[in-house]
Amino acid sequence: MVVGDYLLAGLVAMLTGLDRVALVQIMISRPLVAAPLTGWVLGSPLVGLEVGMLLELLWLGRLPVGAAIPPDDTQVAVGATVMAISVGHMLNLSGMPMVILSVLIAIPLGKFGQVFDRLARHANDRLAVSGQNALLAGDTNGLERYHLFGLVSFALASLATAVVIVLVGSFVLYSVTPLLIGTLREAGLSLQYSLILVGAASLLGTINVNRSLSLFCAAFTGTMLVLWMR
Amino acid sequence: MKEIRLSWLTFLRMYLRSFLLQASWNFENLQNLGFFYLMLPGLRDIYGDEIPADVCQRHGTYFNTHPYFAPLVAGTTLRLESLSIAGAESAVDAETYKKMVMAPLAAMGDALFWGGVRPLAALVGLLIASQGSLWAPLVFLVLFNLPHLLFRGTGLILGYVQELRAIETIQKWHLPDLAIRLKESTTVLIGVLCAYLSFKGCEHQDLSAVWGFVLLPIVLLFAWLAHKGVTSLFLVLLTTGSLLLLALLF
Repeated sequence: MVVGDYLLAGLVAMLTGLDRVALVQIMISRPLVAAPLTGWVLGSPLVGLEVGMLLELLWLGRLPVGAAIPPDDTQVAVGATVMAISVGHMLNLSGMPMVILSVLIAIPLGKFGQVFDRLARHANDRLAVSGQNALLAGDTNGLERYHLFGLVSFALASLATAVVIVLVGSFVLYSVTPLLIGTLREAGLSLQYSLILVGAASLLGTINVNRSLSLFCAAFTGTMLVLWMR
Repeated sequence: MKEIRLSWLTFLRMYLRSFLLQASWNFENLQNLGFFYLMLPGLRDIYGDEIPADVCQRHGTYFNTHPYFAPLVAGTTLRLESLSIAGAESAVDAETYKKMVMAPLAAMGDALFWGGVRPLAALVGLLIASQGSLWAPLVFLVLFNLPHLLFRGTGLILGYVQELRAIETIQKWHLPDLAIRLKESTTVLIGVLCAYLSFKGCEHQDLSAVWGFVLLPIVLLFAWLAHKGVTSLFLVLLTTGSLLLLALLF
């Protein structure tokens, strides 16, 4: 990967990060979209799709309600995709084990996202005060400026999260890959399916519907029987 | 005095501005600047470039609702403002209306879009992605954004045209019931996805599909743990650790 690729990935990190709260919210921030998008700009969309699949359901049940800040799965997705592609090139490795390892390293680093997001929102507290003062002075253009300036805080928070994940994650990934890649190859597909199942279980555990248990069991059993008898 | 009606260009501006509602989201007053920013084209139509200080004061304060429902609130609020200027009687004023509806609409929007539409669209996308198709992100985006974009636009127009009656119309749509139906559908799709992955896993390991049923209680156990507040990170580490250990041992 060249410097231009990292700059493009940074741009994707900011755009998808803005979509989480501050801008548009058309869900390009979801891992299922953000990761393939990152992979696409870096020339490996399928790597991104694999990353997105592993991450999509993990925190889907955590709602961005009020002042709650869910873990930054967007930057985890972007960061894991960049790591899988760049470190994979360096070590001349590719495939699912590399993707799984990148995701496993990026997930805990996603905690930084919550820290940076909180900082961005506190920075916006000051903007809000300035905006309100402008409004009370009758300067509506000033209010518009202060309001739109908030985008900068959120974009920088997203970029900072992505940079931390990629820098720290790449170092860890580069160090542990030679040690773990063999074991991961053994467990490869089972681990991939299992991580998606963990996400599904997490989502199932957070869905508040009366008949969720019976609906889930019926759908699971019915599908298994159909696939088995095919 | 004759009531001032907003132009279509103003509605279009407000619709586009609604995508920037949360640009300056902050802990103190949440969406306050964003809501004023959203209403500004309409307020300029009603009051001109010099918006009175009392209007700035009452609409620049604390505001928080679901971002997709904000255009509905803005539409009604602006209509109440223009009715008040025209001297028409209204059951509640714009400020009271805004304070009354923002929390219930936020709860409704969270349940419908974050709890209903989004997981369902994600599950459909994930089922497509499990076939290795790059159409998955696109299908997810289309499924989610069709109702989303339609709701933003409809809400703005409905709020303005029907003013206070817009809430009755929203009630008639039974959105909380719809959210429950969507969640039920999501639960079914989770079951389908889990069964499909279990089956594929058995196929890969050359095991009989019957072994796939073993995963059912495991998924249920993990769901129970998640329900009890165990974090996804812990569940991921537990699963990875167990599988790597098994791979090392056997």
